[in-house]
Order: sequence, then C-alpha cells, then structure tokens
Amino acid sequence: MQSFHIRYRNTQGTLMRILNAASRRGLDMPYVQAEQGENDHQVTLILDVNAKQVGQLYREWYSIADVTHVGAGTLHSDAWAGPHPPSGVTIEQQRAAARA
Amino acid sequence: MVKGADIVLQCLRAEGVDLVFGYPGGAIMPLYDALDGSGVRHILTRHEQGAVFAAEGYARVTGKVGVAMATSGPGATNLVTGIADAKMDSVPLVCITGQVRSAMIGTDAFQETDVFGVTLSLTKWSRLVRNLDEIPEVIAEGFYWARSGRPGPVVIDIPTDMLKAKKEFSGPVQFTPHARPVDAKAEGGFTDTIFALLQQSSKPVALVGAGAKLSGAIPELRRLLDTLSVPTFATVHGLGAVPPEAPYYLGMVGMHGTRAANMALHETDLLLVFGARLDDRVTGDPTRFAPHAKIVHFEIDPAQLDRVRPCEIPVIGDLSETIPAFESELRRHKLPDFAGWRSVACGADRAELDPRGLAQPTIRFLDELFSRLPEDSVILADVGQHQMWAAQRFNSGSPRGFITSGGLGAMGFALPAAVGVQLAKPDTCVVCVSGDGGFQMNIQELATVHRLGLPVKMVIIDNKYLGMVRQWQQLFYERNYAETDLSDNPDFVDIAKAYKIHSFRMKEDVMREFPVSQETGDQIDRFLRSPDPELLVFDCAPEANVFPMVPAGAALSEMLLEEEPTQ
Repeated sequence: MQSFHIRYRNTQGTLMRILNAASRRGLDMPYVQAEQGENDHQVTLILDVNAKQVGQLYREWYSIADVTHVGAGTLHSDAWAGPHPPSGVTIEQQRAAARA
Repeated sequence: MVKGADIVLQCLRAEGVDLVFGYPGGAIMPLYDALDGSGVRHILTRHEQGAVFAAEGYARVTGKVGVAMATSGPGATNLVTGIADAKMDSVPLVCITGQVRSAMIGTDAFQETDVFGVTLSLTKWSRLVRNLDEIPEVIAEGFYWARSGRPGPVVIDIPTDMLKAKKEFSGPVQFTPHARPVDAKAEGGFTDTIFALLQQSSKPVALVGAGAKLSGAIPELRRLLDTLSVPTFATVHGLGAVPPEAPYYLGMVGMHGTRAANMALHETDLLLVFGARLDDRVTGDPTRFAPHAKIVHFEIDPAQLDRVRPCEIPVIGDLSETIPAFESELRRHKLPDFAGWRSVACGADRAELDPRGLAQPTIRFLDELFSRLPEDSVILADVGQHQMWAAQRFNSGSPRGFITSGGLGAMGFALPAAVGVQLAKPDTCVVCVSGDGGFQMNIQELATVHRLGLPVKMVIIDNKYLGMVRQWQQLFYERNYAETDLSDNPDFVDIAKAYKIHSFRMKEDVMREFPVSQETGDQIDRFLRSPDPELLVFDCAPEANVFPMVPAGAALSEMLLEEEPTQ
C-alpha cells in the first residue's frame, strides 16, 4: 500500500479526474480524504499499486489541468490491506471492529 | 444586453472558429437560433456522431480546433465515440452541448444526461456552465486546453436557460494559464547523452509518430533523420512525416507493418522515438518489445512515457523545440557510420514478398488509385482490413495526407471525417476508403456529402464480411465466422443513387492484369477527376487477408508473412 498526496485547484471535476486515474486501472481505493489547504486543495489516497502503476499514476495526475503537485507518502504494509466495504466486511463487522 | 447564445458564438469567433458541425435539438435550440449572421457557418450532419467525426476530420487536416455541437441527452451521448477518438489520437476538439434548464439538472428531466460525468474520463478538460457570466472564460479556457500541449477533446455543457438569458457583455476574454509543473522545458544536455548512446550503438533506429507531425517540426525532423541516416519507420499516424523515397525509410511498423521495419525494431540496440505512444499495436508483446534496445523518447505528454517499458532517456517537451535543438546540436558532432547496419535493415532479403501486390487484387487496386492522386491529396481510411491495406500502400510525403482512427479504431469514422477534410480543403482531392461494415455505420452522411456537393471520392472495399474480425476468426478461432457475414449487404451503388451520388462497381478481376488495362485506368482517372461526389464499390475477395501480421501477444519478430496453407 502506498499513500499519495495530490494538490490541486478545486475546479469542476478535478478531484474526479484524480480518482478516475486510479479507478480506470481497477485499483481499489481503501482510503480517500480530500481537504482544503492553504492555497489549494489536497487529496490523500492510499492505493495498492506496483512500481509501474506508480509511474503511470504520477504522470497521469500531472497531466490533469488543475493538478499542481503530486507527492508520495509512506508505504503502508498492512494497515489498509484488509477487506473494505462493500465487498469485504459487513456493516455489523465494521461496527464490531470499531467498538473493540 | 446580449443573449448567452450570442456570447457563445462571439467567443467562438474570437477563437478563430468559422465552421462548426452539429445537429440541433431542444436544449441547444437557442444557439441554433443565434447562428444566422454570427459569422459561424454550421454544417448539418445526419447524426451527432457524424458531426463529431467531421469536426475531427477538419481538425486533423488543419491542425485547428474542430467544433461539434449537439443537444442534451442522446445528442450529447452520440458524441461520445468521437470524443474518445479525439483523446486517443490527440485531436484538438471542442464539443458544445446543450443541457436541460439549470433548475431541472439532476431531476432526470426529459433528454437529461450527465454529460460532464459521462465524458469526464474521455476529455482533457470539461465544464458544466453554472452561470451566464462564466461563458467567456469557460470558452477561452476550453480552447486553450484543446490546443495546448498534447491536443485533446474538451466538452462545454451549457444549460438552455443560460443560452437564452441576457447580460451585459464586454467581449471575449483570453485565458492565462497558471504555471504548471509539467510546463518545464526539456532539460539541457540531453543531446550529449543521446550522442553518447549513438556512439555506443551499432543498430540504432528511429520511430516517428503523430507527435512529430502535430509539432509542425517536419522540416527539422527530416533534416535530423537525413543526418542520422538510420533505419526509420512510422506508426500509422506517423505516415507522411518521412518521405517514402528516403533511403533509410522502411514504412509502417507494428501489427501490420512491413517485415523490414518490424525486424529492425526487434533487433535494434537504440530506439529513438519521436512523438509516439508506443501502443500495443506498435509494440506487439510488450515484454519482448525491442528487447535489446535502450529507448530515447521525445514526447510532449509525460503521461505517455513508460507505458510499455521504461525508457532510458525521456526528452519531455514540445517536439517543435526538442527536435530542432537535437538537430542543430547533432550537426556539431561526427556521427558513427551506420551504413553496414542500414544495408542489412534495408536489404533486399527483407523486402516485401510481393511488392507489387500481384497476388492481392485489392492491394493492386489501392496502388493504382494512390499512384494517380495529386501529391497533396488526403486519404482517409476507416477501420479494418482496408485501413491496414491503405496504410501499407500509402506512399506520399504529405504529413497530413493519411487520416484514420488509429487509437480508438472507431468504425464509421472515415465518411464523416472526409466531410470535414473536404470542407477544410475544398481544392484538395479527398479519398475516403471504407469497408462495407464501417461504411454502413455512418452511411447517412451521404446526405451531407450530397447536400454540400462535396467532391469526396468514396471507395468501399466490399468483401461482404467484417473482414478484420473474420481474418482473426480464420487464423485464431478455427474459422468460426461468428456474426461477421455481411453477404446480405445492400447494393451500395443503388444506395448512392438514392442519395443522388454517382456510383459504380469495379470487379477485382480487372486488377489481375499488370499493368491494368487502359479502360480500367481511365475509369479510375475519371473517378478521381470528377468535380462531384463519387462512390466506387470495389469487389474484394471475401477471404482476402492482411499480411504481414503480428498475432496478438506475439513479438514483432513473430509476424506472419503470408497465409499458411490450410489442410
């Protein structure tokens, strides 16, 4: 698992284009958080990607008109590797995990 | 006070648009209402897909932005294939779609589709206009992105109430882009590195793609290739960039490329790529693509790098800058002599098995047709066997002289695209080569050709099959010709007559003579010289195949050169 931090101007569709670069490759997105920064917006993604896909994603994100910066974060070995809704765990299991 | 529709048209004029292609409907009616007297000529096609392909044809042959218009819902969704095609083939295109009234958006109103969402992954940039004031900025920015960098498609979706509303309008605006990280120029010093690689190389080759042509740096590219004098080949979109008579030129490369080009690409130890994506139709099995080569990739769009395998030297930047920089720098160096390698790669033992196509009447026909064309003619090919035959036999040094849907492979492309090309180049001979399958996908555009009196020369290579699919079924699916039989095709000659277009049929047997008879030659000449639209239906053997062929998943070195005898 690899985290990515992408800064962008929050124009129409830019966040969707960023996410689409991952979804078109059939990549699951166990974690997505978009937030407003000082001068622009930032979305953090955690993706299960191989080295070739990392390069492709970097370049594809940079080619989006309003993306201003693409950075990589830490490698997540297993924190996000487990199953995730809707396919992996039920809501009950999620709740139980949260209570534990 | 000016209506939104008038603002749109004034902004289009400010972007240099004087011709748009489209099809009217409910939500876009205010824009159509404002066309008269706007200075923008509208070409009515008979289907929105025809409009977007025509706009693409116009853009591909001129390098200007093509503009297509359609209404909301089905009108807009009918544009989608053309938008995807423009994305794949780097065509500057702006599509303007009407949308339901702002207040109705999201309610599943009549003819409402989320066009912005539907086209998001296919466009380079898009906007749903949300207020009247932003129309000038949106149009200026849309055209900027359509043209800039690697050209591509843009969608501007305008709710119908915005087109009808009025506001004070001070005139079109210009878009000033923000600085972007990828706008950095190619790093200096790359020429030294490439020169060092050339010094080490014993088998260098050059591959030319569409980017070289789009950059406009054709003279510099040709000087560079003359200086290098290494075996050179082109992708289907790179055809015309290199003069076919150049002694180092080996023709088209890839799945149906020439034997010599594919062999050289497989053997090379240094591959110089000029503006090509290296898609799977060029590379064959990517794991065995140019297995001995280091790759130097001149490319404007970083997203195209390393798709197949990493390149050693990426040269990112507009080829109109990087090619001249490399060319002028290279002249200061003494290059190694690659004559030995060139003579091997271009040698007689790698020549085509049947250079005059004597065994294949369709190839003979295309040779006859193309050899009688004026130098600046434009050939459009649809998608299928005829497309590959036409690409193989294309023998012109006209950079924008061969137009086809290469990346998406959209059947039905050629006829409407020919409309756009002929309108852009009214005095140019425009030849549209289609198959019987693809021609029927946009056959309705015969009406557009007739209405406008466009002297397009249409050719149908009629084998009464979906020929390329049938060829694959023959070679890889044990001749199970599942749903590719078109033997009940209509009579295309009669259909053309119904559209008041002169047409005639030519039997392939007339091509078995070499040279062709005077009568056949005269027939082709009359066809090409006619000032009117013409349709020639060429009867092709149903089971004729395109060779050479690299089977899917095979390496370029594993091409099939001719049909294997069947048991």
